Amino acid sequence: MIQKRLHANRVLGGVDLTVRYRPERPPVLDGQTIDVPIGRVTMLIGPNGSGKSTLLKTLSRQIAAERGVVILDGRDIATLSAREVALSLGILFQENQAPHDLTVEELVCHGRYPHRRLFDPLTAEDRFAVEQALTLCGAGPLRDRPISQISSGQKQLAWIAMLLAQSPHYLFLDEPTTYLDLPHQFDVMNLVRHLNRELGCTIVITMHDLNLAARFGDHIVALHQGRIVAAGAPEEVLTTATLRTVFDIESRLFRDEQTGSLHCVPINRIPAAGGRPR
Amino acid sequence: MPIMQGADLHGMQSGGLLSAHRSPWRLTALIAVSLLVVCAGGMVQLGAGSYDMSWRQAWEALVDPHLWEHPSRILRLLVGEGMADRLGCERCDTLPTSTLIVWTVRMPRVLVAILVGINLAYSGSILQAVTRNEMADPYLLGVSSGSGLAIAVVFMFLPGLGVHLPLLAMVGGLTAFAVVYAIAWSRGTSPVRLVLAGVIVGAIARSVETAMHYLAQDSSALRDATAWTSGSLIGARWEHVLMVLPWTSVSVIVALCGARYLDILLLGDATAKSLGMSIERVRFLLAATAVLSAASAVAAAGMIGFVGLIVPHMVRGLVGSPHRGLLLGCLVAGPALLIGADAASRLILNPLQLPVGLVTGAIGGAFFLILMRRKRDFGRL
Ligand SMILES: Nc1ncnc2c1ncn2[C@@H]1O[C@H](COP(=O)(O)OP(=O)(O)OP(=O)(O)O)[C@@H](O)[C@H]1O
Ligand SMILES: [Mg+2]
Repeated sequence: MIQKRLHANRVLGGVDLTVRYRPERPPVLDGQTIDVPIGRVTMLIGPNGSGKSTLLKTLSRQIAAERGVVILDGRDIATLSAREVALSLGILFQENQAPHDLTVEELVCHGRYPHRRLFDPLTAEDRFAVEQALTLCGAGPLRDRPISQISSGQKQLAWIAMLLAQSPHYLFLDEPTTYLDLPHQFDVMNLVRHLNRELGCTIVITMHDLNLAARFGDHIVALHQGRIVAAGAPEEVLTTATLRTVFDIESRLFRDEQTGSLHCVPINRIPAAGGRPR
Repeated sequence: MPIMQGADLHGMQSGGLLSAHRSPWRLTALIAVSLLVVCAGGMVQLGAGSYDMSWRQAWEALVDPHLWEHPSRILRLLVGEGMADRLGCERCDTLPTSTLIVWTVRMPRVLVAILVGINLAYSGSILQAVTRNEMADPYLLGVSSGSGLAIAVVFMFLPGLGVHLPLLAMVGGLTAFAVVYAIAWSRGTSPVRLVLAGVIVGAIARSVETAMHYLAQDSSALRDATAWTSGSLIGARWEHVLMVLPWTSVSVIVALCGARYLDILLLGDATAKSLGMSIERVRFLLAATAVLSAASAVAAAGMIGFVGLIVPHMVRGLVGSPHRGLLLGCLVAGPALLIGADAASRLILNPLQLPVGLVTGAIGGAFFLILMRRKRDFGRL
């Protein structure tokens, strides 16, 4: 059940992570060390192909690091079973698939998988977690709709609901707002904030929208070509200099009076010839 | 906690066989109709044949008190003469001819049809989920290649081993599956790799088999081999029933217990893993179950095509993709299709009998033709 999390003994981080998809290619992550702040919302930013998804997958044991270790709650993640990981960490991928007639409620029920053993029926506790997840995501009215017949925004909420039914402490979301319109982006981000502030979840999100990242992130990690270039509070990471290195863009940054958060106005791309090699 | 008060807990009461919104009447109707077909087809099979009986006679033979009041006679029919003598069962010489024919020839054929129907439907359902491919059939992962090759070898070169043909066909199918899995494996498998490996093994095995047919001197051996590969229930006996029954039980139990795992597999490898599934182990166990089930069906009745492909399709169209309903439906729809087809194979060219595999092939073709013309999104799982 989703409850206020206690943070004692929680640690999540990777030390000296090197990840390679193909032996003949240079590593996608090259000896990177990352510490995920517990009880915070961490935003991973970086251009396409910079290794954001790869980092999330490595930290969640989806792919094994060639070198380095991932520590989850004090244990080397490689020594944990898939189920043990799933009980404390849930991940939503950039792309998802499901049978086209699967309903939202059935999908969310699948989130209870790690809590059930071979013969366990859905218990009252499972049902309760499912209902709570549907309610939190505002997906209750969609419960009987087939997943193939709802909008991308609603789909995203349904998948997040599945993740919540899993009720992990750590939530990884890979580009949860990418295909969504503004109201749905805020739905998702407000939900993230709620899960973090009220329920104490530790959340890591990859994101291309720097303004959303600055507004909803407590901690920002910037990746560039498989390297962590900067990590820290939004005002430490979101600087014109960093954005120049990471994204090759010229930008202006200012603090919005009303929200109090940083905003980035991208001005132009730095011409490739004047930029860095490769 | 404030957020909990808003939670709509109506769903907590539901928790029946299928989730609340999937109305159970479709499954109920499917089961009822299938049972009807099984009974009707079964009665046709009990009555029809060279020794002609009316339905009433067939029924009387079925419930013959000479048998039911002497269970040890039933045992004799089941286990065969040699074993029965050793067990000291009562003799059956005094039984009426109609009873003997129904009990030794016709009933086993109906029972084998039921078991093989279940096996093929379950094997197909499981493999469609494991490979996430709606077009997967029980023979996808090498069963047909391995069994076919074993059968060809026996008929061409080792006719002395003919009595062990069912067992050898099964061993051949399982061996081919092992080869397929070994080819597909490279630090784990994936649905696509499995399917491709199946294609590779199938292509090679088929060439070898065709070469053997080509070189064969004895054309009667060729005919026997063809009869096997097209799939037929003619000549099914109690020994076949007893041979398939354990595998049917195993696959039904494993599949029904694994229904949730099959559902999760359809969400993709990454999601299944993130939910805590040991994906390779689950995939291998389920695939092996499906292959055992298919191989034992082949051993008893040859390679009956299309049943394992269309039954899961039909049932899914009626009750949806969640496997609990799908598998329960397949449990009766598989036998219904096979018994129906077998009854048809006997009636179409009466008194000549066609191998049932030809009838299921024709039904399968017609089924997909109709489906393709009617459903635009056909082919998506
Ligand atoms: N399955 C894979 N096989 C081979 N190479 C891969 C695979 N997945 C990613 N890569 C490579 O790894 C690098 C990092 O990819 P990754 O998906 O982590 O980037 P990303 O930051 O998530 O990008 P995006 O913003 O486009 O999602 C890319 O160069 C990509 O080509
Ligand atoms: Mg990505």
